[in-house]
Amino acid sequence: MKQIFVDIDKCTGCLTCTLACAAEHSSSKDIVGAMLEKVQPRISVEAVNGKAVPLMCRHCEEPTCVDACMTGAMQKDKETGIVSNENNDQSCIGCWMCIMACPYGAIQPNEEEGIAIKCDKCNGREVPACVESCHTGALLYVDGKTFTQEKLTKTAKALTEAS
Amino acid sequence: MSDCKTCPSVDNCYSAHETVNQMQERLDDMGVDTVFTRYEKQQPQCGFGMQGVCCQLCSHGPCRITPKASKGICGASADTIVARNLVRLTTHGVAAYSHHLEELAKTIKATANGKTPYKIQDEGKLREIAKVAGLDLNKTANELAEQLADVILSDLRKDSGEPLAMLELFAPETRKKVWRELGVIPGGVHSEIRDALTKTMSNINTDPIDLLLTSLRLSIATGYTGLVATVTLQDILLGTPEVTESEADLGIIDPDTVNIVAHGHVPLVATAVLGAIESDEMIKYAKEAGANGIKVYGSMCTGQELMQRKGTTASNYSGQLGNWLSQEHHIATGAIDLVMMDMNCSIPGMKSVADKFHTKLVSVDRILRMEGVKDNVDYDPEKVEEQAKELVKMAVDTYKKRDKGKVQIPGHKSAAVAGFSVESILGALGGSLDPLLDEIKKGNIKGIAAVVGCTNNRNGHDDKGLTIMKEFIKNDVLVIAAGCMSSGAEIEGLMLPSAADQAGDGLKAVCNALGVPPVLNFGSCVDIGRIGAAVTAIAGALGVDPSQLPVVASAPEYLEQKAIADGIFAVSFGLLTHLGPVPPVTGSPLVTKVLTEDIEGLTGGKVLVEEDPVKAVEKMLAHIEKKRQGLGI
Repeated sequence: MKQIFVDIDKCTGCLTCTLACAAEHSSSKDIVGAMLEKVQPRISVEAVNGKAVPLMCRHCEEPTCVDACMTGAMQKDKETGIVSNENNDQSCIGCWMCIMACPYGAIQPNEEEGIAIKCDKCNGREVPACVESCHTGALLYVDGKTFTQEKLTKTAKALTEAS
Repeated sequence: MSDCKTCPSVDNCYSAHETVNQMQERLDDMGVDTVFTRYEKQQPQCGFGMQGVCCQLCSHGPCRITPKASKGICGASADTIVARNLVRLTTHGVAAYSHHLEELAKTIKATANGKTPYKIQDEGKLREIAKVAGLDLNKTANELAEQLADVILSDLRKDSGEPLAMLELFAPETRKKVWRELGVIPGGVHSEIRDALTKTMSNINTDPIDLLLTSLRLSIATGYTGLVATVTLQDILLGTPEVTESEADLGIIDPDTVNIVAHGHVPLVATAVLGAIESDEMIKYAKEAGANGIKVYGSMCTGQELMQRKGTTASNYSGQLGNWLSQEHHIATGAIDLVMMDMNCSIPGMKSVADKFHTKLVSVDRILRMEGVKDNVDYDPEKVEEQAKELVKMAVDTYKKRDKGKVQIPGHKSAAVAGFSVESILGALGGSLDPLLDEIKKGNIKGIAAVVGCTNNRNGHDDKGLTIMKEFIKNDVLVIAAGCMSSGAEIEGLMLPSAADQAGDGLKAVCNALGVPPVLNFGSCVDIGRIGAAVTAIAGALGVDPSQLPVVASAPEYLEQKAIADGIFAVSFGLLTHLGPVPPVTGSPLVTKVLTEDIEGLTGGKVLVEEDPVKAVEKMLAHIEKKRQGLGI
């Protein structure tokens, strides 16, 4: 199953991913429209120690947010693996339990609508909008095996070059 | 601050100056944003823009050069986009400088015809320049002043093919030869601006090398008009600086007077206001409002211009509050009644702070308007006497609304020596540069570093600049400062003769013998022209080109477009020029290589990029040593 992975070294902090995310979750589907609709992006780019770090929901195998959800709105889809509080049988009531439970801070409150919002991997989009918009390749949409294999190869290469 | 480790306030410390940190804390408590907090909210900033590879010129854009897109939609490379953006920045700088110069030239003409409250203050300098310009010296001072103003206005307005008269008259012959060979001798400034803006429109000039040469042309035009001509005319009109003493930092604010801040770059309205506050009518008006009197303080370069002339036309100037980054914090004392904003560097954030107090902001320049500011007293040389009174009355009327319970003035202030110029240095040395040159030859003074330009939060307020100045003097390099860097040094006490204690043994001995500080206050950012004149004079006295001298320039906290023009001028002039933060050129391998390496073979100068202030000084010291060896000293 594909996940959104982050290569932190490649992120320049341009925030294009946040704009693309907002556009995808707006009714206009474009950046300017999303700005007018005041759509909140579901990916954050945090600035720490002079580095830009993109963060989003990891869609955990055992999501604490789902366990914490009192209404049952937050569910992990068995087929797609997507964790979402939207389009399920129960509705989000904005109790923020999921926000407290998430170990990564990947869920945000939408104060105006009184619901929690989070990454939904663009809900069926072939490649999530953030990944597609990333100019530097800092965001990748691959399965865990591919990502880790690439890291292994990179490490092995570095070791041969060092010896 | 990046270099502070042990101070208990390290986590909420933004400025090298205690008073600014105190006012920041006050504004934090009030929930008012400042440059410092807005800067944090802007993080992370766009990496493409920082590297200069973002092009927003046409509606196909914005385009960015990225790993997956090595060209813009039109096919422009990173080199083209970066070089073109650099020309646009330089053009902005030269345009702003020419506005300042034009206001001044018009004022001189009106003054020559007896229509302003100003008088020609330095007839000696006027006649000296008029002689070089080939004007008829039998004319009266007023006639000569008008003619000289016309020569300069013509330099602004003539065609780009007609070489600048000011450059022809004042540039060293060796420099003219270099610039002629490169084809960068500029013509009329306004025509150069027209050409540069036309070239940088979409798909006109996309050759990065020609664009870089255009930046050089523009910067040289800046050097001889916006800098040298402006300094010359201001000296003629307002007096050439004489060595004098003043004070700096927020502790100079008097809680019992009507307080006016002169903020910006053009000291014309401020000088008229200094005249107005002496009138019985205004003093009476202030007393009736319950104030002890009226004081005018300086902020940024307008303040520096007044401080430079405390010995001439600004004797009743009350001192310098601070520089660009602290403009909001001046108002946070609650004791400022009126801020007169002229030309550039008035940030909209000032209004948000002013709204929390009683402070009134007024534009005194027709080109300056600020959201929410309703009072505009646009400078008119023929009406400025009345305008000055109007401004003082506004200040007094605003003083009546001051809530004394909200006044909080930090205690610290420092004395500072000001008024250095080629003329005042020659005066102090007995009419010849030889004593200074002898000390340089003997090695007591290793060289000269011009530490100039803006202040920038990216580096921590004044932190890098002050570290660089201290490192230089410790290594026996005489520092001359101008612009916002001057304010920082004044507050830090580096512009006092006693600061010689922080200098190396050689420089210390020279400073003690002459009774001068190791960091000489040359004034405002426009006074970089005065530094250019000093370097020209030294090169002339030694019979060498400026690029052969043990002289370096550093703008360690540069901020805006005028500083870009200044920086490229210093490189064109043949100086190693340290720039911080890193200018937005790193996205282009070609532009970066030309500016930091190749250009040295052409002009003798180059850009040094080094964010660590101590390492930057080490590199500049090595350059100074190399130049000393070249001269055989």
